Amino acid sequence: MESLTLTKPSPFARNRLLRDASWQAVYDAMKTDAQVHVFGEGAQVKSHFDAPKIESDFPERVHTMPIAEDGGVNFAVGAALMGYKPIYDVISADFLFRAMDSIVNTAAKLEGHTIVIRAETLIGGPTTGQRPEAMFAHIPGLNVVIPSTPHDAYGLMAVALQHEGVTLFIEDRMVEDSGPWLDGDLQTGELVPMGSIGVRWLPMKSKARKTPLVTVLTYGVMRQRVERLLAPWLESWGGDYLVEPNLSVDLLALRSIYPLDMNYLKNGRYGLHRTQKLLIIEPDIVTGGVGAEIAARVAEEMPDVRVKRLGAPRRTIPAAPSEHHVMFPSEEDIRDVILSF
Amino acid sequence: MSYSPSEQMYRARVLETRLQAMCDSGELGADLHMCMGQEAIAAGVCAALGPKDMLLCHHRMIGWSLARGVPMEILVKELLGGPMGEMHFRAPEYGFAHSFQLVGTVVPVAAGVAWALKQRGEGGIAVAVFGEAATANGQWHEGVNIAAVMGLPLLLVCENNGLAGNVRSEHYLPSSTVAKRAQGYGMAAGVVDGNRLEVVQQIAMGSVKYVREHSAPFFLECTTARLGKHKQGMGDIRTREEMAGLWANEPLLRVQISDARKMGIAVEVAEIVNRALDKRIPATV
Repeated sequence: MESLTLTKPSPFARNRLLRDASWQAVYDAMKTDAQVHVFGEGAQVKSHFDAPKIESDFPERVHTMPIAEDGGVNFAVGAALMGYKPIYDVISADFLFRAMDSIVNTAAKLEGHTIVIRAETLIGGPTTGQRPEAMFAHIPGLNVVIPSTPHDAYGLMAVALQHEGVTLFIEDRMVEDSGPWLDGDLQTGELVPMGSIGVRWLPMKSKARKTPLVTVLTYGVMRQRVERLLAPWLESWGGDYLVEPNLSVDLLALRSIYPLDMNYLKNGRYGLHRTQKLLIIEPDIVTGGVGAEIAARVAEEMPDVRVKRLGAPRRTIPAAPSEHHVMFPSEEDIRDVILSF
Repeated sequence: MSYSPSEQMYRARVLETRLQAMCDSGELGADLHMCMGQEAIAAGVCAALGPKDMLLCHHRMIGWSLARGVPMEILVKELLGGPMGEMHFRAPEYGFAHSFQLVGTVVPVAAGVAWALKQRGEGGIAVAVFGEAATANGQWHEGVNIAAVMGLPLLLVCENNGLAGNVRSEHYLPSSTVAKRAQGYGMAAGVVDGNRLEVVQQIAMGSVKYVREHSAPFFLECTTARLGKHKQGMGDIRTREEMAGLWANEPLLRVQISDARKMGIAVEVAEIVNRALDKRIPATV
């Protein structure tokens, strides 16, 4: 990837590609739009390490706020009412719950004003790593965006800053820099429409199977994990020797939870009409989750499609790192479900 | 037509009297919060504001929006069933940025508006209006703290009517004045009799000047009494004797308005409400 914002050692150095791309989009927006300002607890310290170009070129547009997520988002609403485009960084996605009132009761009720509320998810314990996307997707007036590649992070942030509405921009800090990446994943500069669905892996040409078995729909960190799992199986395809002769999937990745291009999912080039089978793999609790809504809509609108879901159990995130794996589907789970369709 | 501060008080009273009668008769199904008895605060504070200032208000907003200069036609249209209603009302072109249903929200949002006005550097200030009961809410404290640490041009106006709905202030206010709470955030604060228009107006002039010149928040507590019930469909815990005492101290008794102007305002209100009723979609229950 081309050099982005990070030019000096950062205490937040791991998983820098996604974060750098988001900051790059903020920086590029600041160059052309004087209304874009960044607010948040420790915002100036964060920009010093994470976005030194913003610190040097636009120091007057980064504002350190008290630890007051709810008041802070309401403050951002006030700035937006006056025509500014605030990016409010609440830091951890768990802290979005502290700002539930200002996001749901104040910001979501605005019309015609741009606000980006930025947060990241990183699993750590009972109140570190909870995923808010399904809850906020339920609220009219909010867009919920979760990029899983630098390309999408840039494009979605750029679009959010042009969009007259409120966007929750959730960065999955568990997406690792080591990939795998497809061509273009590390390129930044393009706009990415909210709602669009990324087409990831497609089955390699095979004598054994011409059509894919299952459509796998995922997002966030699970996009990367599913690709890592599937990659060696798919790469071994195409010869006489097949490691998994029955494994063949279309892999799609959501870029936003709301809006969502259901029309593409159903009828697009790599939509469900190809497989009539949908496996939703989510990094969140399955109960009442993102997959539940998609599954219900597919059941209503394409009754012949079989749907299965994989995700986390409805339980509190354990503090012990050795137990974090229980909050994600395992490779075995994924493989077993794909093969069980 | 322009109105003096005392005439703005009278306009609010006449309009609310008509709307209250419509609510009582069932003609109007809106959940309105009347400011009857508190009009002098809105009239006095708004008289001290300029065209670049922005006002944000709690849900008891009829007097505030009129005093700020929002045309009565626009207000009445919303009150009788517009998409914003009284509690999400916006008329920024008249310096009325937003009203809020939820208690306390007004303060941090007004802090954001004050920040934006400071950024613009044109001398405008923001005004946040809330009741004393809002000072029990976390949003109030977060917003006041932000305004204080960021040095924002924000006039905080507290209408202290001693009641949260039907709950008396002993249940939510531990200090003898609300201004003491503001002083805890290091800001200048004062208490005035909110039922005396000339006092409110005079102190508001000084407060606005302070906020504008220092680019710092100022806290103005105005003691008053609500003469109507909290909202429609709700009783009132106060006795007849208590209410009689409050009516004897009501702010309109202390202002002079000519009979000709009173008549003109009565006609204005009647025409605007009747015109709006003609266009209104029938209320559903």
